[in-house]
Amino acid sequence: MPLVQDLVFWILSVVAIGAALGVVLVKDLFRSALLLAVVFISVAGFFVLLSAEFLAVVQVLIYVGAISVLFIFGIMLTRNVREGNLPNRLQIPAVLCASLLLVGMIAAAINTDWRPIPNAASQLVDSAQTQSVAGAPAGALGSGYEAPETGLAELLIGDFVLPFEAVSLLLLAALIGGLALARSRGS
Amino acid sequence: MYGLAMIKGLMVTLKNLTRKPFTIQYPEERAKQHPRFRGEEFVWYEERCTGCASCAKYCPLGIIKIETSPSGTMIPEGGKYRLEVFDIELQRCMFCGLCVEACPYDALFMGSGFEQGQYSRKNMVITIDQLRNAEKHPSTWYRPQLEGYEGEADSFRRRPTISQGDSRFSYDPRGGPPLGWREVGRESWRWHQHEKAGMRFEQDNEGTDTRGEGPDPSVRKDDEAA
Amino acid sequence: MSCQLASDSILYANGIYRVVYEIVGVVLPCWVAYAIAGLVFAFILVNAVLLGAAAITWGERRLLGRFQNRVGPNRWGPFGLFQPIADLVKLLTKEDLRPDGSDRVVFSLVPVLMVAPLILMTAVLPFAKNTALASLNVGVLYILAVSSITSVAIFMAGWSSNNRYAMFGAARAVAVLISYEIPVVLSLLGVVMVAASMSLGTIVEAQALPFFLVQPLAFFVFMAGMSAELNRSPFDVAEAESEIIAGYHTEYSGVRFALIQAAEFGGVGVVAAITATLFLGGWSGPWSEYLGWLWFLIKTGIIVFLFIWFRATYPRLRIDQIMAFSWKFLLPLAMVNLIAVTLEVFLLRGDDGVLTVTDLAIMGVVNLAVTVIAIAVFGNLIKERVSFRTRQPQNVVVPGVSTIEVI
Repeated sequence: MPLVQDLVFWILSVVAIGAALGVVLVKDLFRSALLLAVVFISVAGFFVLLSAEFLAVVQVLIYVGAISVLFIFGIMLTRNVREGNLPNRLQIPAVLCASLLLVGMIAAAINTDWRPIPNAASQLVDSAQTQSVAGAPAGALGSGYEAPETGLAELLIGDFVLPFEAVSLLLLAALIGGLALARSRGS
Repeated sequence: MYGLAMIKGLMVTLKNLTRKPFTIQYPEERAKQHPRFRGEEFVWYEERCTGCASCAKYCPLGIIKIETSPSGTMIPEGGKYRLEVFDIELQRCMFCGLCVEACPYDALFMGSGFEQGQYSRKNMVITIDQLRNAEKHPSTWYRPQLEGYEGEADSFRRRPTISQGDSRFSYDPRGGPPLGWREVGRESWRWHQHEKAGMRFEQDNEGTDTRGEGPDPSVRKDDEAA
Repeated sequence: MSCQLASDSILYANGIYRVVYEIVGVVLPCWVAYAIAGLVFAFILVNAVLLGAAAITWGERRLLGRFQNRVGPNRWGPFGLFQPIADLVKLLTKEDLRPDGSDRVVFSLVPVLMVAPLILMTAVLPFAKNTALASLNVGVLYILAVSSITSVAIFMAGWSSNNRYAMFGAARAVAVLISYEIPVVLSLLGVVMVAASMSLGTIVEAQALPFFLVQPLAFFVFMAGMSAELNRSPFDVAEAESEIIAGYHTEYSGVRFALIQAAEFGGVGVVAAITATLFLGGWSGPWSEYLGWLWFLIKTGIIVFLFIWFRATYPRLRIDQIMAFSWKFLLPLAMVNLIAVTLEVFLLRGDDGVLTVTDLAIMGVVNLAVTVIAIAVFGNLIKERVSFRTRQPQNVVVPGVSTIEVI
């Protein structure tokens, strides 16, 4: 990979891992939530490096814009936040389970055969790597180019429509649950 | 708020945009005060002042300080003192105007200015030299004879025209006798009785009510006899 | 390493970029020229945002004065043009306070985090034909994503001030922000659908007829939603001067406050630029293609004037009214707009995927009718019904006090 992308990759990796370590090790809960937002932003940077601009932007929009805010609201509504994590008996079992999960995930990630999205966009995406820092819009690479989002959209509505609708049902259930919880008594 | 009302509100504000603003640019222009404005300064005409110190006696706060010495002038009228000290403490003054009301010789007037602020408390006391040498812009408060009047004297229907100096009385603040209540048309407190509403009172031949008022205090006995 | 600026790259068409690249490229190797050209353009953008914030403060104060029948500041410089400089000098010379129990790093980081998203947003705006720093093909989504970082920043401001009023203000502001993101995103979906692309350059080129005529409902929802996102009147509970002291920026003074104000007024400018690009046709204008930046500035100015006009006209809404306005009024309107636009695009789009001007005009007329009907219907549905009826309460006797019950 060219020099600039190597450099950016290493910088992002250091930031991401440092922030992730900070999330679990920092005592102040609010700061660990903010470091989690930093992790999300660096993951978005990784997506940009992989030429998945759409996913990067969606990552920032959803994770930083909504989920981090959710975490922070949760922290705000919790009392005695500044004391940090109280000692309890479950710490050693938690460490064991987390390390097992980590080993399992690394094994799964190494042993998977990652297939690219099967459409014509992928070759063009590869050629776009070399110009990827400049960013190639729809018109510049010829009329046969489809933006990666089009492939994504076709998959969502075509092959994966059932999970898509199931997710929308899940959101509906969450909305109704939220409304039911927030409804005041007697109204 | 929804729908048309929003647009109506926008139109109102837009119309305002096209109107001329009525801001008065302060140091270059000043807001016009009405002529009977009790301003923050005092106008003293030394020619009329006899040093009687009525103003000092009437002041509810006691901020006027007058020191006089005999001057040997105007002896037939009872004498006119020479004033040595005439201090008015502006910092404590509440501009009630009782001193102006008190002066029997129309020597003290309220001023029309309002920019008497100073940077130190020492400068907040007006001395006699400042009173002598200041530019005199007397306000017509309690002295409506300074305004021009149209109509007959002593009629409640007179309308003031605001022009100092061009007055039916030819009233010169610097000299001449002080004018009486009726002459200057300080309206009788029962001016409204000539209108439809209200009770009826006995009227004398001039059409003004005589109940409740004694002889005119500012008209002296020898003038009445004459 | 190979030179990356080939002549068919989009950045080559960017006039400023190309000029700087070629000037620097004479002397230095081309990757340095590449970086420097990018930095120069970015420098221009950052300065434009900050100077634009200052200019908008001046414009807002003068315009608000004229709307209120008075003259705005006119002492410093002709027409008060140096007033922003006077403000800046005043803020710079103030003491830099930090509240006692506050979180040092977070407290100092907040003003930066409020200005940064705005500057990032200007990176995708096309100022003239093919002149944008980063012509992403997810430009619209990028703008929305970056503007959602502001909610985190506001919360950081409230939390790190160690002040419960600041916390209330921040919580209210964040609630307003996340509530209004949804109608804004849905209204922008209509625009994206008509233009068939999320890239801002393509959207400008697709506006044969400006989109505020084609989709007035989307324009209305977007303007209302963005007013709320910027915490401007009538939605400015977050910084209402008469309410919770000053909301989330209570504890900020000096330079930090200056940066937060720059973020607020710069936000007006950047959002106006975005609106001009998406709804008014960006840099397109009658005479020459090289005057694109002039038309862009004029259109941005028009939208800034609209924002200031709204501020001068409408009274501040209560927080529950703001929430009702978003969830019960703007969200249904945005959905109505989405359905209408989807149907029209489906029916009118030819086989080559192009919408002609006549198609856009037809859409505009239909959408105007839809707008009027939808606003009337939904406005009536969420009108507050207040009826005053007095009745005597049973079995309650408070001596000396007459009880009136309001239903």
